[in-house]
Amino acid sequence: MASTACFMIVSKNDIPIYEAEVGAAPRKEEAAHQHQFILHAALDIVQDLAWTTSAMFLKGIDRFNDLVVSVYVTAGLHTRLMLLHDSRNDDGIKSFFQEVHELYIKTLLNPLYLPGSRITSSHFDTKVRALARKYL
Amino acid sequence: MEPDVSIETSCMIRVAVIPIGPIPTQLFRDYSSMLLPHHTVSLSSISSFYTEHQKSPFSHQPWDSGSLHFKFLLGSSPPSPWDDFQSHRKILSVIGISHCPSSPDLHSLSDLFASACKPYSSSLVHRCFAFSPGDSQLEDETHKGTNLILFPPADRQTQEFHLLTMMQDLAASLLMEFEKWVLRPESGGTIFKTPLDSQATLSSEEVIKAKKRRLGRAQKTIGDYSLLAGSPVDANAHYATALELARLTGDFFWYAGAMEGSVCALLIDRMGQKDPLLEDEVKYRYNSVILHYRKSFIQDNAQRVSPLSFELEATLKLARFLCRRELAKDVVELLTTAAEGGKSLIDASDRLILYIEIARLFGSLGYHRKAAFFSRQVAQLYLQQGNRLAAISAMQVLAMTTKAYRVQSRASIEHTSSKKETGPAPHDFGKVHQNLIVSLFESQWSTLQMVVLREILLSAVRAGDPLAAWSAAARLLRSYYPLITPAGQNGLASALANSAERLPSGTRCADPALPFIRLHSFPLHPSQVDIVKRNPGREDWWAGSAPSGPFIYTPFSKGEPNQSGKQELVWVVGEPVQVFVELANPCGFDVFVDSIYLSVHSQSFDAFPISVSLPANSSKVITLSGIPTKVGPLSIPGCIVHCFGVITEHFFKDVDNLLLGAAQGLVLSDPFRCCGSAKLKNVAVPAISVVPSLPLLVSHVVGGDGAVTLYEGEIRDVCISLANAGTVPVEQAHISLSGKNQDSVISISYETLQSSLPLKPGAQVTIPITLKAWQLSSVDPDPVSGKNVSAGSGRQVKDRSSPMLLIHYAGPMTNSGEPADVSVLPPGRRLVIPLNICVLQGMSFIKARLLSMEIPAHVGDSRQKMAQLESESTQLATGSERQADRFMKIDPYRGSWGLRFLELELSNPTDVVFEIGVSVQLENSESQDSSVDCSGTEFGYPKTRIDRDYTARVLIPLEHFKLPVLDGAFIVKDSHVNGTATSRSSSFSEKNTKAELNASIKTLISRIKVRWQSGRNSSGELNIKDAIQAALQSSVMDVLLPDPLTFGFRLAKNNLEHEVKRDSVEESDTQLQSSVHSSKVVAHNMTPMEVLVRNNTKEVIRISLSITCRDVAGQNCFEGEKATVLWTGVLNGINMEVPPLQEVKHSFSLYFLVPGEYTLLAAAVIDDANEILRARAKSNTSDEPIFCRGAPFHVQVSGTV
Repeated sequence: MASTACFMIVSKNDIPIYEAEVGAAPRKEEAAHQHQFILHAALDIVQDLAWTTSAMFLKGIDRFNDLVVSVYVTAGLHTRLMLLHDSRNDDGIKSFFQEVHELYIKTLLNPLYLPGSRITSSHFDTKVRALARKYL
Repeated sequence: MEPDVSIETSCMIRVAVIPIGPIPTQLFRDYSSMLLPHHTVSLSSISSFYTEHQKSPFSHQPWDSGSLHFKFLLGSSPPSPWDDFQSHRKILSVIGISHCPSSPDLHSLSDLFASACKPYSSSLVHRCFAFSPGDSQLEDETHKGTNLILFPPADRQTQEFHLLTMMQDLAASLLMEFEKWVLRPESGGTIFKTPLDSQATLSSEEVIKAKKRRLGRAQKTIGDYSLLAGSPVDANAHYATALELARLTGDFFWYAGAMEGSVCALLIDRMGQKDPLLEDEVKYRYNSVILHYRKSFIQDNAQRVSPLSFELEATLKLARFLCRRELAKDVVELLTTAAEGGKSLIDASDRLILYIEIARLFGSLGYHRKAAFFSRQVAQLYLQQGNRLAAISAMQVLAMTTKAYRVQSRASIEHTSSKKETGPAPHDFGKVHQNLIVSLFESQWSTLQMVVLREILLSAVRAGDPLAAWSAAARLLRSYYPLITPAGQNGLASALANSAERLPSGTRCADPALPFIRLHSFPLHPSQVDIVKRNPGREDWWAGSAPSGPFIYTPFSKGEPNQSGKQELVWVVGEPVQVFVELANPCGFDVFVDSIYLSVHSQSFDAFPISVSLPANSSKVITLSGIPTKVGPLSIPGCIVHCFGVITEHFFKDVDNLLLGAAQGLVLSDPFRCCGSAKLKNVAVPAISVVPSLPLLVSHVVGGDGAVTLYEGEIRDVCISLANAGTVPVEQAHISLSGKNQDSVISISYETLQSSLPLKPGAQVTIPITLKAWQLSSVDPDPVSGKNVSAGSGRQVKDRSSPMLLIHYAGPMTNSGEPADVSVLPPGRRLVIPLNICVLQGMSFIKARLLSMEIPAHVGDSRQKMAQLESESTQLATGSERQADRFMKIDPYRGSWGLRFLELELSNPTDVVFEIGVSVQLENSESQDSSVDCSGTEFGYPKTRIDRDYTARVLIPLEHFKLPVLDGAFIVKDSHVNGTATSRSSSFSEKNTKAELNASIKTLISRIKVRWQSGRNSSGELNIKDAIQAALQSSVMDVLLPDPLTFGFRLAKNNLEHEVKRDSVEESDTQLQSSVHSSKVVAHNMTPMEVLVRNNTKEVIRISLSITCRDVAGQNCFEGEKATVLWTGVLNGINMEVPPLQEVKHSFSLYFLVPGEYTLLAAAVIDDANEILRARAKSNTSDEPIFCRGAPFHVQVSGTV
């Protein structure tokens, strides 16, 4: 398990719809802000990079102070699953993304969920954290 | 590290620009700004100042195309330890700027300048530019030979030209100095050292090494100077040598430096043209530069000095060179590497510069979020410094990030996009696209936004900028209150208050804080001051202003502007208006709004401020008012609020967008909802137009504005007084009625109003109106009023059922002095005066019945009276048109067959006394004839008094309504029912006759009037037409139509006996007068009599007449065993023909054996009856004999004379 990891889902409109600190390191409010700042800044790079490749998993597209940003871009709604991590476990990250993507699709299938709005399901949250423990 | 480096930096000559002597900062800036445009001086332009003292070392100087580049450094800068390594870091020239008026002594000025130049040891050329010298200074020759140059006062253009010349001179001098420097005994003796070189005592080995290196370093430096001199080819040659030498000696640092220089030379040589090949070359060489800088890293002195900053600078230079959208990937990679490298930078200010440069490069690449990220890093570095200036810098840098994080101050938004904002009309936002709404809330990175705002607040507080602090706190509080704990909210509130304390009162801020304000509603004009558009083309100008037609949507109005369902509001200059707004304070502390008023930017509105106190978590609807002062369109974008010590403008649009976002779940919370306010529909801001002053009518009812209490059917006059309270005379006015029970207004004195026009301001007019109370319907839809009819019914009924007076009025067609323009006709107004009529239940009508009576005639008793009456009626008849009556009517003493009365049953449920008077209007308009007609016992009184809670009956005789002729037309309806044969002949006129019949019924009914009076001043009329009609409906035929035949008996005149006749006045005239003396029929006497048969139809009737006589017991006296009457003549089966509308007489004689009372009866069987007769007789079959019976006639037979 990585010591630091911050996972976010960013909608097509660049609005974060889900965020979770999934690192093993003790939570610090200040750090969480910093993680979000890094992820927010990385959107600029994703925005360009996503159109240059057909791959959904873009690993290590950005880094700051030993923290690496990996992104998984979904095909349909251009939703971005972004992970800020310090480990180099690429395979684990990829699997994590794939599983979370599946979860996300299940959320999308919920007729009561408006695409682009915040994911508030606690079930989703629990599952994501479980996946993070498993893969990261 | 240095800021703003690029590859071309290597060819720039650094010039320090310093103020000499006392000089105002503003002037210094002004003068130096004149200098700045001359950063490039072409070689061709300086050739005139250039003198070749010896052979130039720059053999390939491009005199026609090359140029010298300057970099002006304002103020002083400490010499860098890396001067030797890169010559462009040296300050090669000093320009002093002085302002002569403040430094009168030129000599001391030049001394001052000389001493100011001292610290710049590397400087080769010094010049002091003195501006605005006085005449005496111009004449002063002492400064000749020094570097002081006077700029005579002139216009700016001339001065700039002068300056250009001086710069060219400077450039030429510098060039010559460079040449000198290069030609100095090969410059070989100089030791080029960098901080990187070991400071320790050199071992012999190193000394040898250093000697070897010196040559290469010298070559590199010469190359630098060549570059500065604008000769890239020469520079390249020297660099090539230097590279070779450095490579051989392993002097990687200098190798990299030379390589950098060579790239610069290459670029200068190519004159800025960029082709991919060149780019690749530059990229390749610079990568090697970076690599060699990295190689030159020496572990020993890493603590003290490191070439890292050069590596990073080179990286940034390459990034800047490549900084284009297409190469974004490369640039990002370079910048990311640079950022990584920044970690190991020793000097904090180096890191600061690095981050600033990275942020700038990302910004120019279009990566705003990245730029913002690094800007924030910069701000944090500044904040770490902990002094005020750094805090100011931090605040400014953070302010730049606000755009990327979308927490901009409104002030900065308005600066950049004021044009865009004002584009759409203020009332268009109702239809904002869904996407647009989403985009409004794009990048809701609330965590980041809050952090950024908090940092701005912190830095602003540290920097001592209360306004910025206030603005940040306001934004934070307004946008993120749901995410902030109550304690945090209180902290922000106190931050606002603290900031406000330091601000001068009346400070404005672009960012609103609390409360949230939304438009609640625009109250419509009260009906008293309603404004109606005037239609100039029509006499009734108010018509057509409201949409007409049966359809809600008309395709014709679609094309018209201002018609698309948009509300339009008209305000009048000088008349106060009101707007409802709703305030919400969703935070956990009380908000006191010092003043709030409507904000109108056009200066055409006087708004009245009010102050409001909003408790925590509450909302409030308040009324804001103001007076429009100018004619024209008006828009109210929001409110000006003075709260927390600062004046802010709150726009309704923002809150509306916020609410829209909240509805979609895009925003954290709806501030109004969480305050418990009801959900409000989006209020569209109507287009408000202000019109010039209009007249204003104010009405009141004379004698009190309360409800007029009337009993049902009561008639009363009411006066309404109208006063013009406006400033414009009323020139047109028109009264109309609307609402329910309009017919209760009997008359309005239109003339009074018309005659008083124009109604000047302040003038007053009183209009009398006659009211008649309507009936309270028994089946009142309102169950309440039905329940308590007597008590409170009036009140409930009043509000809904009272009629209203509509007065449309308008001022003059044009404003005084202005030419008539039909299109801008000032609107008119409508005054609605509800006539508050409270109707109490009055006399109530219970039912109407038709009664018929048989009154036997007493011939003997009534003889005298009858004669009198006959004569009276004759006199009356002579001048009048009673001819028809005369044929048909009987004397009421005699008319005993089927006399009909209308009985009205009335009750008085009220607590007052009513008096009822019935009047029947006769055809000849002899009103109040009823007493004469009703000379019977029942109609002897003119008025019936009905006490409270009593019921009374009023009888109305219906005798005078008989039609004179039995016309077939009237019974068509009946005959139609009867048989097929009849309908054929009469179906022609069916419609006509029906209408005629109805009309005659109506006239019959309308002639009966029941009036009442109560007390002194209440009087009215009972409206019982319907009831009468209902009562009459069934037997109207019998009432109206005469029998086809009427029979009468009289005594034959040749015997001078009394005669009894029906109605023939001309006969009775003579007969009665001649027979007044004898009055009795005497027994045992032959009494000659006549029977008169009158045909009331228009056709001849053949009949078979029979006469019978009965005694009081009803026994037939002519026949049987005990016949008591003898007779002569024919009494049975008398066949006769009666011509139409004429009488036939048949004589006979009776001989009464017993005195007493006898009844004579005539009856006839009609032969060959036509349809009319059949219909009248209501016979069922066509062959049934029609039997016609006359009324009984009493004969009083006395025994003796």
